[in-house]
Amino acid sequence: MKKLFVLFCILLSTTTFAQQKPAQNDDLTGLRAVGSPANPKVPMRWNHYNDYAGITKFCQDMAKAHPNLVKIESMGKTFQGRDLWVLVVSDFKTGNVERKPGFYIDGNIHSNELQGSEIAMYTAWYLAENFGTVEFTTQLLKDKVFYIAPSINLDAREDFIKNPNNPNSPRSGMMPFDDDGDGEIDEDKYDDLDGDGNIVLMRRKTPLGRMKQDPNDPTRMIPAKADEPGEYEILGYEGIDNDGDGQVNEDLAGRYDPNRDWAWNWQPDYVQNGALFYPGTLPETQAIKKFIINHPNIAGAQSYHNYGGMFLRGPGAEEDQQFYNPSDVAVYDVIGKTGEKIIPGYNYFVIYKDLYTVYGGEIDWLALGRGVFTFSTELMTPYLLFRQKPTQNDEFNQFGKYLLFDDAYVTWKPFKHPQYGDIEIGGPKKNYIRNHPGFMLEEDAHRNMSFTLFHAHQTPKLDVQSITSKPLGNGLTEVTAIVINQRVIPTHSSHDIKYKIERPDYITLKGASPLAAMIVENADLNITREQKNNPATIEVPNIPGMGYVQVRWIVKGSGKYTVSVDSRKGGVVEKTQ
Amino acid sequence: MKHRFLPVILAGMLTSCFAVVFNAVAQTPPAGTYPSAAQLSSRLKAITSRYGTLTNLQSIGKSPGGKDVWLLTVGRGKTAQKPAIALVAGLNGTHLAGTELAVQLAEKLLAASNQDSVARLLDSKTFYIFPSVNPDAQEQFVAKPRYERSGNGTDTDDDRDGRLNEDPFEDLNKDGLITQIRVEDPTGTFIPSKEDPRVLVKADPAKAETGRYLVISEGTDNDKDGAFNEDGAGGVALDKNFTFDYPIFVPGSGEMAVSEPEDRALLDFLYKAPNVYAVFTFSPHNNLSEAPKFDRTKTTKRIITGVMEKDATVGDQVSKLYNSQTALKDAPPMPPTKGNFVQTAYYHYGRFSFSTPGWWVPKAAAPADTTKGKTAPKPSDNDDVKFLKWADVHKVSDVFVDWKPIEHPDFPGHKAEVGGISPFARLNPPVSFLNDIADKHLKFMTAFVRQMPVIDVVNLRTEALSGGLTRVTAQVINRGLLPTGSEIGDRVRFVPKMKIELKTSTGQTVVSGRKRILRSPMAAGESMEVTFLVSGTGRANLEAGNAMTGTKSIDITLK
Repeated sequence: MKKLFVLFCILLSTTTFAQQKPAQNDDLTGLRAVGSPANPKVPMRWNHYNDYAGITKFCQDMAKAHPNLVKIESMGKTFQGRDLWVLVVSDFKTGNVERKPGFYIDGNIHSNELQGSEIAMYTAWYLAENFGTVEFTTQLLKDKVFYIAPSINLDAREDFIKNPNNPNSPRSGMMPFDDDGDGEIDEDKYDDLDGDGNIVLMRRKTPLGRMKQDPNDPTRMIPAKADEPGEYEILGYEGIDNDGDGQVNEDLAGRYDPNRDWAWNWQPDYVQNGALFYPGTLPETQAIKKFIINHPNIAGAQSYHNYGGMFLRGPGAEEDQQFYNPSDVAVYDVIGKTGEKIIPGYNYFVIYKDLYTVYGGEIDWLALGRGVFTFSTELMTPYLLFRQKPTQNDEFNQFGKYLLFDDAYVTWKPFKHPQYGDIEIGGPKKNYIRNHPGFMLEEDAHRNMSFTLFHAHQTPKLDVQSITSKPLGNGLTEVTAIVINQRVIPTHSSHDIKYKIERPDYITLKGASPLAAMIVENADLNITREQKNNPATIEVPNIPGMGYVQVRWIVKGSGKYTVSVDSRKGGVVEKTQ
Repeated sequence: MKHRFLPVILAGMLTSCFAVVFNAVAQTPPAGTYPSAAQLSSRLKAITSRYGTLTNLQSIGKSPGGKDVWLLTVGRGKTAQKPAIALVAGLNGTHLAGTELAVQLAEKLLAASNQDSVARLLDSKTFYIFPSVNPDAQEQFVAKPRYERSGNGTDTDDDRDGRLNEDPFEDLNKDGLITQIRVEDPTGTFIPSKEDPRVLVKADPAKAETGRYLVISEGTDNDKDGAFNEDGAGGVALDKNFTFDYPIFVPGSGEMAVSEPEDRALLDFLYKAPNVYAVFTFSPHNNLSEAPKFDRTKTTKRIITGVMEKDATVGDQVSKLYNSQTALKDAPPMPPTKGNFVQTAYYHYGRFSFSTPGWWVPKAAAPADTTKGKTAPKPSDNDDVKFLKWADVHKVSDVFVDWKPIEHPDFPGHKAEVGGISPFARLNPPVSFLNDIADKHLKFMTAFVRQMPVIDVVNLRTEALSGGLTRVTAQVINRGLLPTGSEIGDRVRFVPKMKIELKTSTGQTVVSGRKRILRSPMAAGESMEVTFLVSGTGRANLEAGNAMTGTKSIDITLK
């Protein structure tokens, strides 16, 4: 009972091993820490955020350093013309990469949510740098292909990094729009009054205000008690009334939501804030949609957001609950609950129920429009600060004081404002709160990668477990094959089966001309369902997770049979007996 | 960007005189039959070369089959800066009459452009005419074999079995047309109609009828899956591919909403054209002869699925205008289908959106005399019977292929016959029938345009107060017969708000009052008072309106 496919893998992997030197301790003046590559070919620091040039260089360096493991492609151009890089990571010397079960990862769809990019990059880096040294990683890249797009909102990421912003801006992309209906476009943006690159808060000392400064922590503004006078009023983010219309900062760059631009239960702006003309109005969405559709082998997907520490599954809208069938939810449960163990402080949640309603979100399109098991992770949570559930609501201020040594806040300073007069400006820097502090980034990158690799590992792994034959008399033989799926994710979600999103899996008998073909529904009681046409290739709607299908042919004569399985999301395997 | 209105004489003009005008200049109907995409292109180019300055022809995109999606803009001067209506046709590939009507409408409008009234219309308004949004599907009318196709040139796996176009129609009787096949079979559920034996109807057990025929489309079951011709060439049905009430994973709807380049091109143009006030569509859907009713339960949920209250009233008004101007009767109801353009244009694009098939089978005249005891047969309820009767009366030939036996490989030993109503015949009469229809619709369309909002600023007063202060008071009024925008549009981000702005020059400041007022639509005849306290002297300017209504601007002198 030889497994050709496995043999093929072994042959190739030995070659790979032979070419590589053991890389355990090279260039280390000490001992490799478990879990980290000792001598990465692409040296990286995982404690800062990369701009477009940094991401581009990383992608190109990876492809250059790992020609057999990493290829760089562009999915298309952003609105401003940047390349939407995607790294294709797999063992290119084993099998046909295009037919391996695929896993898609993207980050940074909301441009201020930076760290998804670094986590995606870390994942590509970790996989390639550990290939050949960590057995799990080596096998994973033989079995699967990863499509890793560090940032899918590069224009506004660049804006966030290079231009004055606050932690929440710009969530949008950079396509200009008239936000306030006055016929002018992006004419009243934030203004970096003190020129420090951060858009922080404006406060004004006034007995009419109802806020006061926390006596224990000058970075924190708290409401005055009900029976005491306040000291300050908060005037919003740094800015002036640029267009003299009596409003401040009312027409910013963009003001739309790239994650409301997807073709599942899309709704217009008045139903779903942030939507544009129709799903796929943005060139980025169009490019990614095309990429996903052209890679029907993608069986799992992950999208990185911040913040809150949540592994989210769909649906985004309550009325779409009907499309999450119990058997699909069971798969999500296995992955989501494992995630809660991998990252303490992160919770497995459902978007519409535990977060808020989202129409036209990316992961609903992947899950329900394409039948891909998809998670979206809200990175970073205050739990990580002191490794306990936040209680006082001052954790970020305390963390800033004791662990970041006042690096996280702009200290309040006076400013003469053209409309507001004497004010003070100060508050959290744009890279605080939502995005990880540097020293925590690598750890959370690794933990989140681990969650995603668990998910990717659970994409289908098919095998022809057995081929048996039995003479039927009259020169006829009955050939029965069992095809198993050794992972939790089925080749088709039950939603996919219901709507026939992806074609059936094909199980083909070669080396004989079958007279009849059937799916065996109960082997013991001999209950079968005949497939009347094209008996050589039996079409099965699904190969269930941790399950099997049994198929049978009646052939003339006897001999040696090859059974090959061709599944879009499960890959191709073959066995001869 | 100001556009000053001509003196407002348009709104009150009597429409009855225009009927005469248009009839007088009506073009001779184009000879022959419905055009191919190439013929349509040359016809549109001929229009633009004839009426150069009044027209502009642009391709807004290409179909997957490589054909241009044309936009013919009709109007004088800076068309993008005038209130506009959009006229969309040919989204549904089977509806050739709509395309023909849209083109004839343009031709007739332009032919009348030397008339004063029409010239004024073309000075003040813009007509965006999209005559054929789905040229790939429409081309099947001239292709072999001819069959009713709604899908564009995108490759689709209609039965979602992993094989592309593996079970197309076959022209089994070699007449160039795809019709139907009836097979005598004990399991059949159809019988010939008693009213017209050419037509097959379901056997009704309640009338002690038993079935005699199986009815399938003309072709064989190539892939032996039990379904006939379920996956042939013909991709996404564009009028099932829009965002409102988009139907998931049904044949023709595509993989996702607005997946198709033609639909994207149309929406991209419209969303970037703030001046479009209303959208008219020639399609099988009819909401013109009878307007949709207001249903509060459908407008109070987060997702709105029924027309808004004020818009329902406007719908009634426009419906009355349609019925009176066209004098057409007995239009079939033809409810909207899922994912269609007409509803998307209203619920998502936020514009008034009207649709009519334009032409339909007229009701048979009631029998003149009913002699005692002998009542004449009631007109049939069956659409096919009615259609064939109409064709017989009007001597319209080639609408029916008589049932003739063939050998059908999937039904050996059974009597099988090919026949039935010819493709395209039901929705598309001979072109000569459309001349009069086009006149009537042009009459309606121009009557509608004359009811569009007209913004005026009246009763301007300037009161000089001491200390260089002036109080400016004026009333802004909508003198048109329609509101300045739809109620649904007030919620849509990409519909311009009604804007009133005091434009000051250097040295002038608005001391009290909002310099720029953005508000919801103004009903027909509605007025509002605005008042500003201004410091400074010299000339200022008060402007009211938006891209959909046109703007009115008046100068103010501050002393």
